[in-house]
Amino acid sequence: MQDKNFFKELLTKSAEDFKAGRMDRRDFLGLCAVAGVATYAVSIGDAQAAADEIVFWNWGGDAVKCHTDSFGSPFSTDSGLGFKVDTSGPLQGKVKEMVDSGNITADVADADAFDAIALGKSGHLEAIDYSVVDKKKVLEGFAWDHGFSAIFYGYGFMYDSEKFGDNPPSTWADFFDTNKFAGKRSLYKWANGAIEGALLADGVAKADLYPCDVDRAISKIQSIKDDSIYWGSGAEASQMIIDGEVTMGMVWINRAKAVEADTKGRFKLVMNEAIAMPGAYIVPKGNPAGRENVMKFLASCQTPERQINMLSCHGMTPANPEAFAMIPDDLKRFAVTSAENIDKVVFNDPAWWAENGGDTLNRYLDAIG
Amino acid sequence: MRLNNYWLLVAPLLLLVMALYAWPVINILWLSVTEPQAGLQNYEKLFASSSLARILWTTLRVCLLTTFGAVLAGYLVAYMMAHLASGERSWMLTFVLVSFWVSVLVRAFAWLTLLGRNGLLNGALISSGLTDEPITFVRNELGVLIGMIHYMIPYAVLPLLANMQGLDGRVMSASRSLGAGPLVTFRRIYLPLTMPGIFAASILVFVISLGFYVTPAILGGGRVLMAAEYISVQVLVTLQWGTASMLATLMLGGVLALMFTLSRFMKLSEVFGAKA
Amino acid sequence: MPDPASSDGLTLKGLSKRFGSFEAVTDVCLDVRRGEFLTLLGPSGSGKTSLLMMIAGFLDPSDGDIALDGQSIIRLPAEKRNFGMVFQGYALFPHMSVWQNIAYPLEVRKQPRAQIQSRVQEMLDLVQLTEFSDRLPRQLSGGQQQRVALARALSFNPQILLLDEPLGALDKKLRTDVQEQLKDLHRRVGATFIYVTHDQEEALSMSDRVVIMNHGKVVQVGAPNDLYERPETVFAANFLGKSNFLRGSVTAANGQTLSCVVAGADVHHRCNGAAPGVGELVTLALRPEKIDVAPLGDAPLSNGLQGTVSSLTYYGSNFTVTTEVAGFGSVTAEVGAWRNPHRFETGQTVDLSWQEDATVLVSEGTES
Ligand SMILES: Nc1ncnc2c1ncn2[C@@H]1O[C@H](COP(=O)(O)OP(=O)(O)O)[C@@H](O)[C@H]1O
Ligand SMILES: [Mg+2]
Repeated sequence: MQDKNFFKELLTKSAEDFKAGRMDRRDFLGLCAVAGVATYAVSIGDAQAAADEIVFWNWGGDAVKCHTDSFGSPFSTDSGLGFKVDTSGPLQGKVKEMVDSGNITADVADADAFDAIALGKSGHLEAIDYSVVDKKKVLEGFAWDHGFSAIFYGYGFMYDSEKFGDNPPSTWADFFDTNKFAGKRSLYKWANGAIEGALLADGVAKADLYPCDVDRAISKIQSIKDDSIYWGSGAEASQMIIDGEVTMGMVWINRAKAVEADTKGRFKLVMNEAIAMPGAYIVPKGNPAGRENVMKFLASCQTPERQINMLSCHGMTPANPEAFAMIPDDLKRFAVTSAENIDKVVFNDPAWWAENGGDTLNRYLDAIG
Repeated sequence: MRLNNYWLLVAPLLLLVMALYAWPVINILWLSVTEPQAGLQNYEKLFASSSLARILWTTLRVCLLTTFGAVLAGYLVAYMMAHLASGERSWMLTFVLVSFWVSVLVRAFAWLTLLGRNGLLNGALISSGLTDEPITFVRNELGVLIGMIHYMIPYAVLPLLANMQGLDGRVMSASRSLGAGPLVTFRRIYLPLTMPGIFAASILVFVISLGFYVTPAILGGGRVLMAAEYISVQVLVTLQWGTASMLATLMLGGVLALMFTLSRFMKLSEVFGAKA
Repeated sequence: MPDPASSDGLTLKGLSKRFGSFEAVTDVCLDVRRGEFLTLLGPSGSGKTSLLMMIAGFLDPSDGDIALDGQSIIRLPAEKRNFGMVFQGYALFPHMSVWQNIAYPLEVRKQPRAQIQSRVQEMLDLVQLTEFSDRLPRQLSGGQQQRVALARALSFNPQILLLDEPLGALDKKLRTDVQEQLKDLHRRVGATFIYVTHDQEEALSMSDRVVIMNHGKVVQVGAPNDLYERPETVFAANFLGKSNFLRGSVTAANGQTLSCVVAGADVHHRCNGAAPGVGELVTLALRPEKIDVAPLGDAPLSNGLQGTVSSLTYYGSNFTVTTEVAGFGSVTAEVGAWRNPHRFETGQTVDLSWQEDATVLVSEGTES
């Protein structure tokens, strides 16, 4: 896979150089010819940024349609600005690379709150203009200098109701108890949520979760290591459950509705002690559409109706308290901030993850390998 | 003198290519001794952290086993192809080449469907009464090996096939006429003569395997962490570029050392099919 | 019961080989005597290699049988036949030294170390390659490689040695030397040699018997001198040496002497076997060296034609005179160059004459 991508990467790098004016057109085309690749095959990301459009950098899949329908199109109608999606996934490293290279091709990135804090601190992000974006339209505590939550997502777990229907599991302690609830488990491979789940299972009170005792979490995780498999993407998490590879599996809550449907209700979601993750919309420093335009766009994402659309389309829960009461009945069960769930869930602490995420992830990877 | 003129002709391109290859490599080397601060602390981690050593060992083990499996299977396929009529051979070659275009992701998920707990194979095994419990073929190192070997077989086939097709069939006939049966002929003549192909295939498969990422991630059930994936996590998620570039440097060095060692035993140009 | 007369040596009975619908070898019957030097001679593509490969056991015959001393060996795999073989291009093992190549057949026969040692040394001496024993094949010249191939094929004392154009890759001068050496080797080792070549001089100078092949069929078998003097077909007469062909109808048969009219002239021929009847069309082969060329004489020729010299080609020991005979075509004669009493010039009209027994009655053999 690396090999096939090699030339593409080489050319992409050159394409960047070409755009940045470090290489002239003839060299670049010559290189493409040498590599036997048509020029159109090479572009950076999926979209090219311009001043009169918002490029929204997300993770692809259903989110393309949902972000466009819920936020992009209404904003275009209102403002006359274009809207495009780049699906290459704004990992911290990529945002950093983009800003450092001086070739910024995205205006907004659908990132995590801990990214907003970490990248904000390292100077890679535009500060949010809270005279345009309304802090009151964000759940208290989820607006930071360089990003704010428009949506929440989260980690819960699903269980096989055919196996455990009589006495269903309801806590992380149950999830980690393979004696009482036999079978395999699946957990998130990139540590988020798994650390918190393990600590809750081990008896740490919700209020005392942070700062996380990573050693304690890891030894809890290792206690079921032989019965665990780990997923790296939402599709994989769903697949593990639908294929019956596990009797209980950690999932992204926003996918749970589809999994319940796919298994004809056999697998059920547990929202108790679910880990709510604040999403963060962040702006790479020097974004092409300019600060003013992008802030207008961000403010438009706070519209309760649009956040509700996002919930219906993609299962992402609104972060604007005005929208909480508007959550449709059939989605309440899956929404982090619905009245029935908001007190059961645990909110992730992005400040702790921004500070300790890297080391925690490495230790976690080492422990599960 | 003549030679110099020709070199001049290709020099601009050569320089461009060298710059494009050399620059990133130098960059990585540089990062590995300057991130986060100047010094060799990234390399010290190798000795301080058992986790890095374990990742490298996993990578080495999986790549060596993959190389062994893919070259063995590739040898059989190439042997068959080399001894087919040319029409049938080009059909098979087409199949081999077509498989290059099936994405790793698709293949990994196909293996899950086939070999998973409730996959086709386990279904067949259980319904035929051969086992009671499903056998864990995937979501472990075995799964990674199956997926990687399968992916790498075409890479092994091509150099082996080129090698085998270049052999003079009369040499094998000569062995038979001198009293050696098919097995002895294979062991003493065919195998030694296909050694350059085996070396080329092994190097190719091994080096490409080192960069594997998607297959181990999916078929390993998250538990087989190899260097390539670890490096990408350090670059993209934990932002420990120093560690990442140190590992990349180490792998590059390892590959170069491997090539150097091999080049002392045989001419690499021969291994890769160039006629000296 | 095998035929006792042919039970000694190698017998090919109605051997054919088809590749798909193409017949490469057709119905070959042949007795190879023990110890003889037999040459398969034919143009490229005439099926010589295919025939040899069937004998060696590398090709399955489509039809027919191969017997050794009366026993069919057709089911025996190549490695069990114990025939030595020298391949076109030699097929030496490129990864083995000269010594290892020669020792190989002895090693696979699990002979004791000491015996192998002495036998390899013996073979190296035989082909005079002792000082090259550690070299790899690619470090040897073509002639040396050829000798290694010979030594390897002979080291295990095979009864029969099969050679497929072993001199094909050598230059002309070297070829004559090696021919001598091969001949000598044959005398010394006493094995049967079945030798394939498309070079008629090689066939004539080396063989006890020659098998002329064309289009997969045996055209004629015989000792070299037999074949040269008494070719039976136009193909044989032409492939082995050169010939002029006189075509005419028989006007009179006088005992064994025929008279024919060729280009209006009377030509006489002394028959060896059954004579054709009056009125039949016949073809007479006439070797160029058997024609006397003289300046136009006064007396009419008793047996000959008149021609006009169209070209002269000098070959050192002789030269050829090509003449145009009116109403017939060209006739080529060969004349010794040393102290030839006559000087010829192009355009000159000359008498061409020959003895009555110089011509050979041949069949046209349109297909072979
Ligand atoms: N394996 C084969 N398949 C098809 N045709 C073949 C094969 N081997 C030989 N032939 C054909 O048989 C004929 C005789 O070939 P060969 O025995 O090699 O002739 P020679 O040795 O006299 O040159 C040729 O026309 C050749 O093309
Ligand atoms: Mg031949």
